[in-house]
Amino acid sequence: MSTIMALGLVLLILMVIVGGRQGWVAFLSLFLNFCYFYIGLVLVALHVTPLWVTLVLGTLILATTIFMGTEDLRVSVSAFEAAFIVMIMVVSLVLLTEHFVQATGFSLENSNELEGMSILIGINYVKVGEMTMILSCLGAVAELTIALASGLREIISGQPLLKATALLTSGLQIGQHIIGTTLNTLLLGFLGNFLALFVWFFGLNYSFGAIFNNKLLVTELVTVLISFIGVIIAVPITCGLVIWNSQKGVDKDKESQYDTGNE
Amino acid sequence: MLKSRVKWSRRCWLVCLLIIGAVVSIIWSCNNQQFYQRPIGKVVSVQVTHQQKTQDQFNNRDQQFKQRVTMKIMNGRYRGQRVTANNTYSKSGGMDQKYRRGQQAFLTQLRSDHGHLTANVTSLKRDTTVVILTWLVILLLIIMMGKVGVFALFSALLNVGLFIVAIQIDIATQAQYILPVFAGFSFLMALSTLTFVYGWNKQTFATLLATMLGVGISLGTFLLVSSLTNERGIYYEAMQFVTQNYRLLYLAEIMIGCLGAVMDESSDILATMFEVKRLDPQVQWRKLFAAGRQVGQTVMGPLTNILLMIFLFSTLTNAVLMLRNGNSWGYTFSMTMSLGVAQSLVSGIGIVVTIPVVSLVTSLLIAKEGTK
Repeated sequence: MSTIMALGLVLLILMVIVGGRQGWVAFLSLFLNFCYFYIGLVLVALHVTPLWVTLVLGTLILATTIFMGTEDLRVSVSAFEAAFIVMIMVVSLVLLTEHFVQATGFSLENSNELEGMSILIGINYVKVGEMTMILSCLGAVAELTIALASGLREIISGQPLLKATALLTSGLQIGQHIIGTTLNTLLLGFLGNFLALFVWFFGLNYSFGAIFNNKLLVTELVTVLISFIGVIIAVPITCGLVIWNSQKGVDKDKESQYDTGNE
Repeated sequence: MLKSRVKWSRRCWLVCLLIIGAVVSIIWSCNNQQFYQRPIGKVVSVQVTHQQKTQDQFNNRDQQFKQRVTMKIMNGRYRGQRVTANNTYSKSGGMDQKYRRGQQAFLTQLRSDHGHLTANVTSLKRDTTVVILTWLVILLLIIMMGKVGVFALFSALLNVGLFIVAIQIDIATQAQYILPVFAGFSFLMALSTLTFVYGWNKQTFATLLATMLGVGISLGTFLLVSSLTNERGIYYEAMQFVTQNYRLLYLAEIMIGCLGAVMDESSDILATMFEVKRLDPQVQWRKLFAAGRQVGQTVMGPLTNILLMIFLFSTLTNAVLMLRNGNSWGYTFSMTMSLGVAQSLVSGIGIVVTIPVVSLVTSLLIAKEGTK
C-alpha cells in the first residue's frame, strides 16, 4: 500500500471514531474537493478558459464545504450566499492585481525542475496563476462564513426580538473572535507550504529589494494578502446576509399571521 | 453611548493617519529607485519587431514575439537617459513576459555602445503592488476590528518575524538541527500568538499544551506510517527549491503548516469548555468532554479543508505543465501533488487527533478543580 493511501485510511478511521457520522461527511467533502481540483486541472490542460473553470469550481467547492459542513439549512444558505459574494470580489481583486504584477508562471529559481520540459504550452500562465490565487483562499472563506453564520444564528434563535443593529454588533464581535485565528491558520499554512523557498532565499543571501520584487515571492505574498482580504470582508457580508435573511423570514411570518385575507 | 462615540472618533483618527501613511508609502514605493543597486528603467514605448508561431513535440502551439522596449533610466550613473532593450516573450508567458508602457523593470548588462545605451530587461518592479495590498489588509483589519485588528496584525508580524529568525538560525547552523530549531520556534510562535490573543492564564497554558501534543502526534503518525509503507508513493525528489536535507525540511513544513490550524481548533474547543465550566462550576468531566468533542467535530472538516486548498492549488501550475508535456495523470500526480496531498492528510490527522486529546486533558484538569 502506498503511503498516501495509508495516511488517507488513518485519517478516515480517526475521523469516523472521533466524529461518527459527521466524520464520514467531513472525509467525503475533503475527497470531493480533491476530485474538483483534479477535474479543474484536466480541464485547464485541455485548454478550457481558466476563469470559467475557476468560477464553476469555486462555486462547487464552496457549496460542498458549506452544505456538508453544517446541517442547519438557515445557516448554510446565508453562509453560501456570503461566500459566493466574497468569491466574486476576490476574483475581481485578483484580476486587477495580476494586471499590474504579472507574477505567475516560473522564475529562474525553477530552472532545475524545468530542465527538459517544453514551457511554451500555449496556455496562459497568468490565468492559471489567477486560478491558484482565487481557489486557494476559498477553504478559509468557507470555514469563516459557516462559523460566523452559525454563531449569529444561535444568538437570533436565543433572542428573536433583537434589533438588526444590535445583531450586527454582536455578529461583528463573533467575527473578531474568529478572524484572528483564521488569519493565523492561513498565514502558518502558507509559511509551511513555502518553507523550502524561504530557506533558499535566505541561504543564498537575496537582498531585501530582490526578495520583494521576486516573481515567486510576490506570487506568494499576493496570494496570502488576497486571502486575508477575502476573509476580512467575509465578516460584514456574512453578518449582513444572516440578519437580512432572518428579518425577511420574520417579516414573512408576521405577514402570514396578521395579513391573511388582505389580498 | 458617549463612550462608544469616543471610541469611534478615535478609530476615525487612527484610520485617517493610516491612510496618510499608506498614500505616502505608496508614492515612495513608486519613486524609490535610488535605493536599489540594480538599474531600473521605465518603459516609454514598445514596438513588436518580430513574431513567430511555435510548436513542440507534444503539439503545443504557442506564439513568440520580439519587442523593442525603449526605457528611461530612473537611477544610477545613466539616470535620465534613454535605453533600448530587446525582449522576447511568449503568449503563454511562463518564464518571460510582455512589457507595457509605464511599467518599471530591472535591467542587467547596461552598457554604452557608441553613445547609445543597451541593456537586457530581466524582471518587473513589483514592490508597489505589494505595498498597496499590504495597506489594504491593514486598513480593512483596523476599520473592521479596531483594537482586536491591531492585535491580530501584530501577532501575524511577530509570527513572520519568528519564522525568519528560525530560518536564519537554521542556515547559520548549517542545517544540522532543522527539526529542533523549527520545533522550538513553533513553540515560540504558538506561545506568542496565544498570549497575544488571550493573555497569560490557565486557558492559554492548556491551549499551548494541546497544540504541541496535536502537532507532535501528527508528525509521529506520519513517521510511523511512512516507515511501515517504506515511503512508497512519496517522491521527495519532487520537492521544489530544496537546499537542505529534504526529509527533515518536509517534516518542518508539515509542522509549521498544521500549527495554525491545530491552534485554531484547540482555542475553539477550550473556549467552549471553559464557558461550560463557568456556567456550571460543578459540571462532571464527562459532560465537559462531550462539549469539547462536539465543537471539535464541527470544525475538523472545514479546517482540514483550508490546508488542503492551500497545499493542492499551489501545485496547479506545475501540474498543468507536466500534463502538457506528455506525462500520464498518475506520473503527474506523483511528481507534483503527492507531497501536498500527504501534507494535508497528515495535518488532517493532527487536527482530528487533537480533539480527544484536548477534551480529555482539559476536562480532567478543570473538572477536578471544582470538586475540591
